[in-house]
Formats: sequence, C-alpha cells, structure tokens
Amino acid sequence: MNQDRWLAVLAGELDRRGIAAEHAAPVVAEAATHLRESGEAPLRAFGPPEEYAAAVAEGLGPARWAEETRAPAGGIRLDARGIGKGYGRRRVLHNVDLTVRAGQVAAVVGANGCGKSTFLGICAGLVGADHGRVRVRGTIGYCPQYHGTVDFLRPDEHFVLVGAGRGLPRDRARAAGLAAAAELDWDGATRTQARHLSGGTRQKLNLVMAGLGEPDVLLLDEPYQGFDRGSYLDFWQQVWRWRDAGRAIVIVTHLLNQLDRVDTVLDLTPKEAVPC
Amino acid sequence: MLTRTRTVAEMTLREITRRRGVLLILLLMPLAFYLTRRGDHLGQSVRFVCLGLGWALSTAALFTGTASRALEPRLRLTGYATHQLLLGRLAALWLLGLVLSAPYLLLIRLDQPDVGHGAVALSMALMVAVAAPFGLAVAALLPRDMEGTLVLLTVVGTQMTLDPSDPVARLLPFWFSRELSTYAVDDVSVDHLSRGLAHGLGSALLLLAVAAALAAARLRRRPHLRFV
Amino acid sequence: MEGRLGGRGPTRSQRKLACCATFLPVHQERRTQWLKGVLDLCVLATLARRESYGYELAQSLGAAGLGPVQGGTLYPMLLRLQRTGLIAAHWRGGDAGPARKYYRLTEEGERVLRESAAGWASFVADVEAIMREGLAE
Repeated sequence: MNQDRWLAVLAGELDRRGIAAEHAAPVVAEAATHLRESGEAPLRAFGPPEEYAAAVAEGLGPARWAEETRAPAGGIRLDARGIGKGYGRRRVLHNVDLTVRAGQVAAVVGANGCGKSTFLGICAGLVGADHGRVRVRGTIGYCPQYHGTVDFLRPDEHFVLVGAGRGLPRDRARAAGLAAAAELDWDGATRTQARHLSGGTRQKLNLVMAGLGEPDVLLLDEPYQGFDRGSYLDFWQQVWRWRDAGRAIVIVTHLLNQLDRVDTVLDLTPKEAVPC
Repeated sequence: MLTRTRTVAEMTLREITRRRGVLLILLLMPLAFYLTRRGDHLGQSVRFVCLGLGWALSTAALFTGTASRALEPRLRLTGYATHQLLLGRLAALWLLGLVLSAPYLLLIRLDQPDVGHGAVALSMALMVAVAAPFGLAVAALLPRDMEGTLVLLTVVGTQMTLDPSDPVARLLPFWFSRELSTYAVDDVSVDHLSRGLAHGLGSALLLLAVAAALAAARLRRRPHLRFV
Repeated sequence: MEGRLGGRGPTRSQRKLACCATFLPVHQERRTQWLKGVLDLCVLATLARRESYGYELAQSLGAAGLGPVQGGTLYPMLLRLQRTGLIAAHWRGGDAGPARKYYRLTEEGERVLRESAAGWASFVADVEAIMREGLAE
C-alpha cells in the first residue's frame, strides 16, 4: 500500500468511526508529515490503517464525536404507552412505555425472548397488543430481523418495489437505493439475486429498504447481523445521519457498546428476576 | 394507484420466471395429465389437461403466496394497500396461467379437431381465474409450502377420483371443468355449459372473496396503532 | 496505559544485534514490556526540556536508548495526553519545511511528571532492592 493510498484509507476509517473532521484532519496531516520526514513505509510506522484509526479513536476518547453539530430533538414521532402483550399464559411485555422524538435514537435491549421484536412489531402495528396504544406521527420504515427480502429478486428490484410503495418513480427509487447502499460500502447495482447474497449483504439490502423514501420513524430489528466490523461502523454512521436528518429511530439490539450515544435505552428484561 | 399494482405484478412475474425448475414442471404437468388419458376418452383428456393447468397454477400461486408472507406486512408499511398487493399478485398469476394454457389449447386444436374449442378455451380461462385465488387462499391459511402442497394435492386428487355426479364433487373448486369438457367433447345440451359457467364463475368469485378476506385480516393495521 | 511498542517485528539493527547475542531478543522483549508502563512519562520528560513534534520525539526517544518507537504507538498516546490536558499542541511552520504539530508540556503535565518521576524512582529502588537481595543469596 503506498503512502497516499494508506492516508486515504486512514481518512475513510476515521470517518467511519464517526470522528469529526476537525479531529480527523490533523491526525491525517500529522501522519503524512511523519511519513514524509521519516521516509518510513506507512504499514511499518503505523500499521494497518484500520488498526491505527481504532487506536486514534481510543486516544481521542469520547470527545471525538461531532456532537456539537447536533440539532435539538424535535416533536414526538413515536409514543408507545402501557404496552402489554402475552402469548397464552406467558406475559411477554408488561406496561412498557417509549417516547421517541424527531432526531432521537432509542435502543431496545434485553435478554433473548424478552419481547424486543414483539415490541417493535407492536410499534409498527404488525403485531397486536393486548394493552396500551401507540401513536406515530409520519411514516414508518421497518427492518425485520428475518425474511425482509425476496429470494429471487435482485437488489435494484427490491428498491423499485419498496419505492413504488413510497410513491417514488422507478429511477428515483433505484438511485436512492444505490446511494444508500454506497453509504454502507456496498454496491447495490449487483445483478445477484437476494438468495445468493451473503448474510451481511442481505442485511444491508434489508436496511436500505427500510430507509428508502425517507420515512419519519425507523424501526430496526437487530439490523447488523452478519456485518463485519467495518459494516457495523458504517451502520452506526447511517443511524447518526438519519438522526441528524430529524428521523426518530428505534433499534433493537443486544450489543451495548453504542449505548452511550443513544438518547433512550429501553430495557425489557423483566424487573423480577424471572428468566424468560 | 395503478403503478403499485403493476409493480407488484411485475416483481411477482420476475420472481416466478426465475424459478426455472418449478416453471418447467408447471409447464409439463398438464401435458402429463393429458397424455395419461389420451388413449381412452377424449373428454377425459381434455378435462385432465384443465385439471393439470389448475393444479400447476394453484401450486405456483401457493409458492408466491408463502414466499411473500413475510414481505407483505413490510410493503403495507411502505404505502401499499392490501388490495394492491393482492391484485398485483393475482394479475401476474392470471397472466402466467394464460401463457401456460395457450400451448395446450393449440395442442388440443391440432390433436382433436372435432371438439368445441371455444368451450375448451372457456374452461381453461375459468380454470386460470379459479386456480390463482385458490392457491393464494391456501397460502394465506397455511404458513408452509409443504402443508399447502398437500392440501392442493388432496383437492385435485379428490376431484379426479370422485364421481362428478356426486353432489359433494360440486363443492370442489374445479368441478366446472368436467361440465365444460363434456359440453366441448360430447356436444350435449347447453345445460352443461351453463352449469359449468355458473360453477366456474361462482368458484372464482368465492375464492377471490376468501383470498381478499384472509389478506385483509392478515395485513390489517392493529387498532392500538394510530397515525396522528 | 496500553499501546503497541515497536510491535511489528525487529528492525534491521535489532536483527543485527540478535545474531550476535542470543539473549538479546528476550531482553528486547522485556524492555518493550517495561516501556509500555513508562513511555508516556518519557514523552512528558522529553517535552519538559523543550517543545517538540512527533517525528522528532520518536527520534529522541530512540536515540536515548528506548529503541524504535513506532508512529502507530506514539501519536495515539500524544492524543491521549492532549485529551487529559498534560500536553498542549499547536501547528506551526509550512513556509520552508512541512507544517508540524508541536507539543509542549502544560502546568498540569509538569505536576504529573514531577509526581510520577518520584513514584518511578521509588519503584525502581524497590525493584533493585529485591534483585540485590535475590542475587546476594
């Protein structure tokens, strides 16, 4: 890897990790100066750009995020009150509340089987609730955990299909899908049918479909399954972009390392220590 | 909005035509039915080719119905109405059914010049009209391909073996094809034609209503959710 | 304090040393381990003399006998020291030579260095005492 390429990859990786430009640019410049003066090969002096970016992110600490550009949260987009749900005699959800405003991210966490996906389905109106009500202002984009795609269709056909629902003409749907795919570092123009895509790539398609047509509320059910480290970072970048564009986002997750950056954490693990 | 219905129809067709193996079997199934009865009775072979078409198309409908089960709720949320999803899928299946029927109509025309081809065509058209909503209704009731296929097999098998004059046989969705084939082959009274036509149209409408009701129930927005 | 120190294999000079004395690679590895705990203090101490920039720091540390200090270790550490307020930085130059980011010690850094230097001295004394007793047996 030559010096320019290494520096370019480093810049990309820093961006991927959500490091604000004001922090990232000096790091790249300083590395460039070091390489020029020492004449060392970049891999030798700094190691792989991904690892160096990770070390830089750690060195910078939590201040690296461009929080200061963040707009204040807007009006309420999703309001779930007193949600209760049981299957037979088993109570899954009991009196659950969640409010998410425009420009906010909520994480739904909890042990397996605690009703995270059920709760998201209730928010989307796809699963019936025994108690409570949900109010949504605007449109919903829903990313199911499984079976969100059509095996025998190509990615661009998915874009057209979802786009038609959102009222997007064919070309615009396709262009929007490709652009969103590129944000996830994926070429959505591939001719491969969904059934032949790898698990992670199919999840990217799933995610792009959910965001197509700019819905106001995004409900994402563990959308990063099968993602490698880089795709995972890209995914969170996409979430922050959605947030900064004023969307309300609910993410079902069991990975907790981003929770310090979300606005609300809803833990569905039952209070009394009944294993579920 | 017609665009949505058309898009669903287009994607359904793309999906089906990519299942090459299934498509080939669908195309050959009526031929096998036809050839088994080719020897003994003309009326039987015409009736059997119609049943073969019905089975092939309802199976195709079953497969697309189950394959889209998980996707349709999501499409509802993006703005599709339930009737757009259903009509789009039906339109694709109807088109597929007509395309599948055409070579068999031609075959009968060449192979059996003396039968009433208009009545055969009518029987095939009704078969296409009935089989598509039938397969979709079964798919809506049974979540897995396997169970649905067995139900279709049972219905078609019963239809073949049951004495057509048995009143129970009239409860089966493809009974009309017997009446229409008889009319086409034996040049009997117009009663067969009107009975067959009435049964076929009735079955088609009833199954459409069932498929629509099931889709509406499955894709309904739950009352706890309100858009404000 | 975590970080990588000269992490990617021996340099040419290290290899040359290694061929002459078989104990040296082990010795070098141990030095690397030790350095992990004190590199930040060495950086603070070097900056206490005068302000400096990354490449120059790496060279002075190397010349002082610490062995090669890789950029991949040094710069993230500088970022951390800067974040914790022990050093401050500003960009300078660009007319004749390249623009460089110069680091200097802050008052807080001086205080931490003084305290840590005392701590280090007593730690070394303790270790030496243990070694001496062990060798005297």
